[in-house]
Amino acid sequence: MNTTSVEKTPTAKSDAPETTRTGAYYQPAVDIVERAEELLVSADMPGVKPDAISIRFEDGELSIHGPVEPRQAPDNVYLLREYGVGDYQRTFRVSERIDATRIAAEYAGGVLTLHLPKVETAKPRKIPVKLG
Amino acid sequence: LGSRENRAASVEALYSGKKRRCAMSLIPWKSKQANGGVEVAPLAVIRDEMNRLFDNVLREPLGNLERMWGELGAWTPAVDVNEAESEITVRAELPGVAAEDLRVSIQNETLVLAGEKKEESTKQENGFVRSERRFGSFRREIGLPVEIDPEKVQAEFHGGVLTVKLRKTKAAKPHRIAVKTV
Repeated sequence: MNTTSVEKTPTAKSDAPETTRTGAYYQPAVDIVERAEELLVSADMPGVKPDAISIRFEDGELSIHGPVEPRQAPDNVYLLREYGVGDYQRTFRVSERIDATRIAAEYAGGVLTLHLPKVETAKPRKIPVKLG
Repeated sequence: LGSRENRAASVEALYSGKKRRCAMSLIPWKSKQANGGVEVAPLAVIRDEMNRLFDNVLREPLGNLERMWGELGAWTPAVDVNEAESEITVRAELPGVAAEDLRVSIQNETLVLAGEKKEESTKQENGFVRSERRFGSFRREIGLPVEIDPEKVQAEFHGGVLTVKLRKTKAAKPHRIAVKTV
C-alpha cells in the first residue's frame, strides 16, 4: 500500500474496450456509498471538461468517461513530473436495479458525483376480500 | 505538520500501551485445576506467551499504524513542474479540495502548497461499498531552480487542477551573449 502519493492507475487494457485514440487512460479513484434509495458514486477526476463527460448505463453496466485536455506539452522541459495526463475511464457492474432515467450527475472541483436511484420495488399490498 | 507529530506521538503511546498490557499478562496466573490438573511447565507457558506477544507485536501495531496513516490521509498530491524561458509552471492535481482550504506561498525560493481535502459528509455514512479516495491535509515544498519574482506569481485553481505560474527575475532569464570573432 502506497500512502505517500495519490496514484492514478492507468486503465488495464484487458477490461476496457479498445479505443481509437492513442494515449494513456486513467482509472479515477472512486467512493461508492449505498443508501436506502440510491447508490452514490464520487470519482476524483481533475482537469476534465465537464460538458464532455459521458456517463452510460447499459445492461447493468455503468461506464464513466472523462476526456482531459492535454496540459503537458511534449516540448516542455520538465523538472518534475509525477503524474500522467490522459482521459479517465472506468466501468462498473451494478448489481442493484437502477432507474436509468433518473440518474443525475454533477461535476465540481474536479470531483464527479453520480446519483443512481434504485428502482422502487413493489410495495407489499393488502388485498381486501369482498363478501359475495 | 504539528498535528502529524501529535498523531505520531499518540501512535507511540498506543504502541507502548499495548506493550505494557501484554507485558502485564506475560505470565498469567493459572491454577493447576484450570488446566485439568495437568502441571504445565512454567517455561512452556513463558514460551507460548512470548510467541503470542511476538505475533501481536508483529501483527497489531503495524496494522494500527497503517490504519492510522490511512485515517491521517497521508496524502501527497502529484505535482509537475516545467520550465520555459521566462517562467516556471507548477501544476498539481487536487480534486475535491476547496479553494479556501488551499494555501500557496513562497518562502526562501521554495513554493509551498498546503491545504486540506475535507472529508465529505457522506464519509460518515455507513454502507460504503468502495472507498478509494483519500482525504486529509497535505503539504508540498517545491524548491525553485532559479530566482523568481514573488510579486508576479499567479495561481489559478480550476476543475481540481492548480496552476501556479512563476516569472523568472531578469537576472535568472537566460541572456544570450554575442560572440565576437576576432
